[in-house]
Amino acid sequence: MKQRHIWTLLVILVVASLLVTACAKATPTPTPTPVPPTPTPKPPTPTPVPPTPTPQPPAAKLVIWADENRAPIMEEIAKAFTEKYGVEVEVQQVGFGDIRDQFKVAAPAGEGPDIIIGAHDWLGELVVNGLLAPVDLGAKKEKFLPSALQAFTYNSQLYGMPYLTENVAFFYNPDLVPEAPKTWTEVTKVAAELEKAGKVKQGYVLHQGDPYHFYPIMTAFGGYVFGKDKDGNYNPQDLGIDSPGSIAAAKWLDMMVKEGHLKPDVDWDTAHTMFEQGDAAMIITGPWALKRIRESGVHYKIAEIPDETADGHPFSGVHGFMISAFSENKLLAQTFLTEFVATEENMWKLFNADPRPSAFLPVREKIDDPDIAAFGLAGKNADPMPAIPEMSKVWEAWGNAITLIFQQQEDPETAFKNAAEQIRQAIAGGQ
Amino acid sequence: MRRRTQTQQGFTYSLSAILFRLFGLAVIDAFALWILPQMIHDRVWYLVVLLVVITLGINIIFLKEEYYPLRWMSPGLALMILMVVYPLVFTVYTAFTNYSDGHILTKQQVIQVLSQRLYLPEGGESYRWTAYRSEDGRYALWLVAPDGRTFVAFPGEPIQPADPGQGDIGPADEQGTPTHIRDLRRLDRIQVIRYLPDLEKLEFGTPPHVLKIRSLDEAAALQPRYVYDPQQDAIVDQQTGKVYRADDRRGSFVAEDGEALTPGYQVFIGAANFQRLFRSPALRGPFLKVFLWTILFAAGTVLTTFALGLFLALVYNDPSIRGRKVIRSFLIVPYTVPSFISILVWRGLMNPHIGVINTTLEKFIGWAPPWFSSPTWAKIGVLLVNLWLGYPYMMLISTGALQAIPEDLYEAAEIDGAGMWQKFWTITLPLLLVSVGPLLISSFAFNFNNWNVIYLFNRGGPPMPGTPTPVGHTDILVTYTYRLAFASGGGGDYGYASAITIIIFLIVATITYFQFRYTRMWEEISENV
Amino acid sequence: MSRNLGGLLASKRRQRHLITLGRVIVSILAIAYAVFPVLWIASASFDPRNSLAQQRLIPPNASLENYRALLNNPLQPFPRWMLNSIKVSLITSVLAVIISALAAYAFSRFHFRGRRSLLLTILLVQVFPNFLAMVAIFLLLQQIKNYIPSLGLNTHGGLILVYLGGALGINTWLMKGFFDAVPRDLDESARIDGASDWQVFWRIIFPLVRPILAVVGVLTFIGTYSEVLLASVLLRSKENFTLAVGLWQLIEGQYTQKWGIFAAGALIGAIPIMILYLIAQDWIIGGLTQGAVKG
Repeated sequence: MKQRHIWTLLVILVVASLLVTACAKATPTPTPTPVPPTPTPKPPTPTPVPPTPTPQPPAAKLVIWADENRAPIMEEIAKAFTEKYGVEVEVQQVGFGDIRDQFKVAAPAGEGPDIIIGAHDWLGELVVNGLLAPVDLGAKKEKFLPSALQAFTYNSQLYGMPYLTENVAFFYNPDLVPEAPKTWTEVTKVAAELEKAGKVKQGYVLHQGDPYHFYPIMTAFGGYVFGKDKDGNYNPQDLGIDSPGSIAAAKWLDMMVKEGHLKPDVDWDTAHTMFEQGDAAMIITGPWALKRIRESGVHYKIAEIPDETADGHPFSGVHGFMISAFSENKLLAQTFLTEFVATEENMWKLFNADPRPSAFLPVREKIDDPDIAAFGLAGKNADPMPAIPEMSKVWEAWGNAITLIFQQQEDPETAFKNAAEQIRQAIAGGQ
Repeated sequence: MRRRTQTQQGFTYSLSAILFRLFGLAVIDAFALWILPQMIHDRVWYLVVLLVVITLGINIIFLKEEYYPLRWMSPGLALMILMVVYPLVFTVYTAFTNYSDGHILTKQQVIQVLSQRLYLPEGGESYRWTAYRSEDGRYALWLVAPDGRTFVAFPGEPIQPADPGQGDIGPADEQGTPTHIRDLRRLDRIQVIRYLPDLEKLEFGTPPHVLKIRSLDEAAALQPRYVYDPQQDAIVDQQTGKVYRADDRRGSFVAEDGEALTPGYQVFIGAANFQRLFRSPALRGPFLKVFLWTILFAAGTVLTTFALGLFLALVYNDPSIRGRKVIRSFLIVPYTVPSFISILVWRGLMNPHIGVINTTLEKFIGWAPPWFSSPTWAKIGVLLVNLWLGYPYMMLISTGALQAIPEDLYEAAEIDGAGMWQKFWTITLPLLLVSVGPLLISSFAFNFNNWNVIYLFNRGGPPMPGTPTPVGHTDILVTYTYRLAFASGGGGDYGYASAITIIIFLIVATITYFQFRYTRMWEEISENV
Repeated sequence: MSRNLGGLLASKRRQRHLITLGRVIVSILAIAYAVFPVLWIASASFDPRNSLAQQRLIPPNASLENYRALLNNPLQPFPRWMLNSIKVSLITSVLAVIISALAAYAFSRFHFRGRRSLLLTILLVQVFPNFLAMVAIFLLLQQIKNYIPSLGLNTHGGLILVYLGGALGINTWLMKGFFDAVPRDLDESARIDGASDWQVFWRIIFPLVRPILAVVGVLTFIGTYSEVLLASVLLRSKENFTLAVGLWQLIEGQYTQKWGIFAAGALIGAIPIMILYLIAQDWIIGGLTQGAVKG
């Protein structure tokens, strides 16, 4: 009995498989192999007269990954491009922090976008992985801020079209501080006076353990993170976290905490709330906080970073468009950027959607928002955020050292020297 | 035993049941056989293996009587193999590779990426171009050299010097560009962009004189800079003549002078990731401290969440409570809100400067816990937040599991004069643990690796001073060691992180195994009931 | 004697009053603890300042701006995402309940060789801290797309398939424990009446274990509803987003977080779960009654 059923099964199987394989053969299923396994360069196509008429434009499509803030405006721009040129452009919304990680997975699998919008400090990681195609801006190159182009240059090759720059600046409340302090010693003095008079809880407020916002202070005391070679490239062998300038800044921070001018356990949100409520008179922050500060109604002015023994300057970040090395339509993607996005009309649209100083000179020079202009001024000597992969080893150790000083767990010199040691070891261990 | 009675019933299967089963199998097999040839054609071997394993498995399970019980779980097992076991194997495999930033592509992909890099050889021509297109999609270029000479180029035909109005070339317009070439019409700027996807893939002319479009303005005799030579398994730089041989132990193409091309590729590197882990300074540092805290954190979370969850489940298990449905719905609120906002709200509430909890405490008792600067209070704080996040889950499962405890057991106990407390310890808890016990184990294992809470609450802080690698007092094993894999090395080091994962898994699995042995005990209890 | 009895009754009554009072206090405390942080999320959702660091429960310029921004933005179709989430979570939880109930029945009722090892394997496989799962599953769905497009990348079918991979895990354990508590005499007597395994499962066990099915259903629903990591990798086009993905994108960027809108979305998003739980409670409580168990 059992045997009979096995026979029935076999018959059914054979018939079914025959039918199915026959079908499968009859209808050639289009199986797109995204990454062709044979990488031999294409032979010159010797087909002089293709007989099949194809009157339709090629079915190419550009895919762009943009984050939730930029996707809407990019969709608008993409639609206009499609209308004008008949080439479809799809904007996919991916979280800003997720773009890089997902791109690394999707691009080699042939599922990635043609263009991503991201920050210049992703370059190191993406270029090292072979995921980016060089960008040739052609004649449009002159219309971009040179330092922004520099930021998107890696190993002397341009890998992106910048469109905005950002950096932090020094905010003060003119009701409490009539004139912007010129040095950090002055900041200390003003803060002490305000606190003594009971006008504020904290004269100057800095949230705990954030190296990005501490960097401007560090540079004012002559500190640095990575030294630069003569071409302006960062040198990972020259770590400056324990340089005399950096330690001087750490000592200043330690003094501020000891004297009660800076308090531990303040986070970013709290620090801003304090400034907005008039509980703090001075803060370092970036253009992303402008909206909330404006809406809070507090009086504010934006100044350059105070100096001390050296010129205090922030990190600068540049955001821009990058083209995937796995794009099938690199030239089209590049043309979309240079011919269509890099126009005054669309660059203004991008600026209005997210007001940060444009990297496109015709727009940058005409921005009449005084706050944005002030940010531009504060960032004129900014160091581009290091894009070298070694930078990823710096943040954690450096941030911990700052927190340890805030919490008075370690003296400033030991904290920064130990951080530098941790970073050096991590860099050496990674090779 | 029980199984045997079942097989005896085997022959009572009705014919229709058997036919139904066979028909089902036939459909599954037919489907597999339909897809398989395509997969083989596409060379996606891992899918072929998965498909064969799952299909064969289903066939065996459904044809051999001795695997009868597995039939019931075959859908679940198939999905588990596909979506859980395969990714797990993937991770284990990755632990033995150098998969990391700089080595994420396969060798084939690296060769492909490198061969796309073009360069203009010295003396190579570069032209301004105008494109022409026929109705049926053939293309031609009109080229203007820097010295003003003009040419016509077709794909696969030699590039010819040409002048407007000559032969089959149309007359020139004001700019001196012909209006058409043969039956091909000139494309304006807008049309050029529309047809760019075709144009950018074409090569005009015949070797050795081949032109490619480089930008909207320029076409040039671009050559691939890197050519792969399969004979010597090396990449040859056409511009400099330098030879980069494949080093399959490092996963890079390396020249004699030691220079390696980027990107590198993925290779199998044996146990190197594990060796690196065991030599890591992290193990010399406060490893034991972190490990003990991890266990304390996981066990503490399970205990506190279970205690509170069970307590609430018991309180509202009594049908006489009015509005208990609504109350229960409110009690699961913490489980319904995304944890990445609630953890941050807790952070805010516990902030020493503006947090409501702390400012209120200071107002009334003049002191508030330093949640973020004291190692001990930071640990308590994390546990408190995790309690809030976790008790609704325990309450849910306890509520469900309580329904399985027969009322008459309580009645019998009451007759024996047992009090509330006694009933709880002798009936409720032991019986509940039968069904909930394994969940507690898995909850322990989950919290052992609960990256989210630690990271969002305090990023592992406050930091420990003077350690060889950055570490904080509330760091648990995953946050501590993954930081090594992602903040050291060349950015993201997935192979190394996978090795760490496996080691952590072995630790968790060992603990789980010993806990699991107790469930046998629980099971026996239930069978005696 | 009678006085004694009266005293006993009185003390019983007093005890009952005390218990009721205790319960009221517990309820108030428990609800306060559960809801308090959520009130602050609500506060943030009414605060146009886009900040989580509130000092007052009622923000100074309280407005509905965040809710308006959330619901009236055609480019961020929040209601659609919510429907997607409900769809995906409902299908996943129903299928997961069926799959794991079948398996749990076999684990509970058949004592076959390798049973405990299989149980342990199912548990261990689930606790593997698989951070690379995302990559593996992405590549898997990307390939599946070539053969079965409706289960590939950027489809709800594919996402549900991925979620169902975890159906067997801890759910099976939970159910098995519950099934074990259903006395075997019930199956045996049904078998004597000539019922097949399937009939025993479907007619006898299934109705009795409704509470745990409902619990597993609710747990799976919530777990699926709030899952971000896989969904944000697998879903590409905005129309297909789930609520969790859409909300996550509001806050994942450093310094660009939209806390106010996120808070509003999180609160509205919690409503379906609470309604579901309210409904499911009838199942959870009403299942195993004394009489039914004893049969």
